[in-house]
Amino acid sequence: MAGYAFWRLVQAAIAVFGVMTIVFVIMRLAGDPTLLLVPEGATREHIEALRHELGFDRPIAVQYVAYLADVLRLDFGQSVVQRLPATAILASRLPYTLELALGASAIALLVGIPAGVAMAVWRGGALERLLATFVVTGQSMPTFLSGILLILVFGVLLGWLPTSGSGGLSSLVLPSIALGALSMATFARMARIAVVDELSKDYVRAARARGLSQGAVVVRHVLRNAAVPVVTIAALEFGNLLAGAVIVETVFAWPGIGQLAIQSIQSRDFVVVQVVVLFVSVIYVAMSLLADLAYAWLDPRIRLHG
Amino acid sequence: MLKQVVMYALLAAALASPLPASAQGKDALVVDLPNDAATLDPHVQWDTDSYTIYRNIFDNLVTRDPSGKIVPQIATAWRYTNDTTIEFDIRSGVTFHDGSPLTPADVAFSINRIINPAFKSPQLSQFDQIVSAEARGDKVVMTTKTPYPALMAQLVKLSIVPKAVVEKVGDQSFNQNPVGSGPYRLAAWQKGVQTALEANDRYWGGKPPFKSVTFRVVPDVATRVADLRTGRADIVRQLGPDEATALKSESQLQVLAGPTERIGYMFINAQSGPTADVRVRRAIAQAIDQKAIIEALLQGYGDPVNIVLTPANFGYVSDVPGYEFNLAKAKALVKEAGAEGASLTFLTSPAYDRRVVEALQQMVQEIGLKVEIVALDHPTFLRRRQGRPDEAGSLSLGRWSCACQDADGVIFPLFRTGSIWAKYSNPAFDDAVDNARKILDEKQRLAFYRKAFEILREDVPGIGIYQDYAIYGARKELQWKPTPNEAFFIMDMKWGK
Repeated sequence: MAGYAFWRLVQAAIAVFGVMTIVFVIMRLAGDPTLLLVPEGATREHIEALRHELGFDRPIAVQYVAYLADVLRLDFGQSVVQRLPATAILASRLPYTLELALGASAIALLVGIPAGVAMAVWRGGALERLLATFVVTGQSMPTFLSGILLILVFGVLLGWLPTSGSGGLSSLVLPSIALGALSMATFARMARIAVVDELSKDYVRAARARGLSQGAVVVRHVLRNAAVPVVTIAALEFGNLLAGAVIVETVFAWPGIGQLAIQSIQSRDFVVVQVVVLFVSVIYVAMSLLADLAYAWLDPRIRLHG
Repeated sequence: MLKQVVMYALLAAALASPLPASAQGKDALVVDLPNDAATLDPHVQWDTDSYTIYRNIFDNLVTRDPSGKIVPQIATAWRYTNDTTIEFDIRSGVTFHDGSPLTPADVAFSINRIINPAFKSPQLSQFDQIVSAEARGDKVVMTTKTPYPALMAQLVKLSIVPKAVVEKVGDQSFNQNPVGSGPYRLAAWQKGVQTALEANDRYWGGKPPFKSVTFRVVPDVATRVADLRTGRADIVRQLGPDEATALKSESQLQVLAGPTERIGYMFINAQSGPTADVRVRRAIAQAIDQKAIIEALLQGYGDPVNIVLTPANFGYVSDVPGYEFNLAKAKALVKEAGAEGASLTFLTSPAYDRRVVEALQQMVQEIGLKVEIVALDHPTFLRRRQGRPDEAGSLSLGRWSCACQDADGVIFPLFRTGSIWAKYSNPAFDDAVDNARKILDEKQRLAFYRKAFEILREDVPGIGIYQDYAIYGARKELQWKPTPNEAFFIMDMKWGK
């Protein structure tokens, strides 16, 4: 187990390094950030001066080494636009993203898993068809549409929940639904497949033969065995929810890192964009590492053959 | 496209329903902005959202009245002692929010702070003609490098900060906890979320109209409209023409819109490609149907222009005629130039309205030219547009504002030989705009600009298409008129019936 964990850790480190390099290269490929920072009417001299000030007139290899050195020292630079450390800006937005990811996870798990189990247990029935419609809707509705729709129905028409912003549980509900819908569908499908799979196994038949009811078999035996794939997916989905809230955060005026990414792109604050992208990649790599380790821990075959 | 259609359909459906009672008290004003202030230190950022907020925390040296005339604010009067020296009388009895008096030393400090290269203000290029400022008794004396006619127009944007506070707490802390002398003081700034201001009841200019003002960050325009409809916001900034049109039918809401100093224009490359031939450029100018763009795409939220400048700017001349929309003449000119079927490139980036770009493309194609739209990311767009003439493309769209309401900030950077934006060179034009930036006499300046615009009319290195509008949505009871410089000065607002 330790050897496997070490090997996966090395892979994760390589992935993060790769992302850092890609972010660096893309930021440079996209053109000179200096041009974005100066006012429209700036003269050539002003642009040259700022370019020198920011170090963009150095050879790209020199810039790359300096960037890596800064990152290793955990120095992510200062926002050129806001004049604050980029990490401080990121940190101020993180609690909101975390709150929303937890809210969305709650929706996804608490609705998705029972729905999936129900679909498996009563498969072929009217309930499954009803739930399937629900799941497919959650899966296929783009968030820009579901977000606006939720605002209009529950905020404007019914007036039950706030139309935008953060603060209190009531403002968390709509964005959590919009963000959690896709994960909810994933969990429902995963849970359904896993439970159907387990229900066809011999131990289920044996348990039923012993006179246990279908419900008792599902609760006592099937769910525990079906949980393995669902648990590992959950870690990946949480990573997704942390990183994938750009549209939902924008629509609901939710001040998390997705919104920060958009705002930084619009205000041309490339230092912050760089930090956000790097952070999201690290989260993603960390979550998939966690999922792999959890999987290996739950299922010895993986750590033996992996 | 589908996204837009769906959103507007939903918006329209929502607007058809009754409006819930507003939850806001009359003492509080809630404003939805598309973005947070980048900085509240007024000497750093100058974007519309930042300015919308800090304009109310600080006083400016001078300001503009509703007609656009430059009038006193902290300076009560000013006079030139020679062509490069100007003397300001400073208002007495003004106090900062911490209770200390605003003195000429604070004014001089503010000017010297923003022009200090080490401070690296993004606004430096707007103030770098100033050499220094010095407090003398109850006056401030400012000197410029050369006679600089746009000086007063630039000083409209100069906020006065307290010297003692800035020196004591440092730049970074001052940005977080700004202290000004304006009608509102900062109560709380939750970065990226909202900014709360409270009334400064000792404001020298009178009692502020609302006890508190909250600026919320709401990036999505459909959400801003929803906030307005539910009473969560009293006024929202930056609606598009479509949202404005939808709001108009709403009995408890209103659209507050007004022309700004921003000019929508089309650049035409005069130095490279088929458009290097002036006949092709003139033909393109005659192919553009301004009215169609303004009515169909901007839904009336734009005014036609005759030149590459708006009437809100000094230097505007109304009697230099615009181009006649005449396809037959345009086609004939293209034929005469032997340019039929010639291929033009239209560079664009996500910063520009794709619908306008496509409309212009079609109009130019009508007269026998081929136009290929080249969509780039914005940094690449800027690099090419500001780079060599052969890389700059034949056409591109621009929305230009110098935030100074002076022709010097518009046609000088756009068309003067050697400027990064100019793909055009005419010594006679250069002469006119050079002279206009060196003399103080307004009549003579205007004469130079008239000459400059007459030359541009013949040479067509670009054409004005529309004067841009600022569009706000607000509750019906709010009384306010947007100004061309997009100053969101709360002292000018009040609740009506």
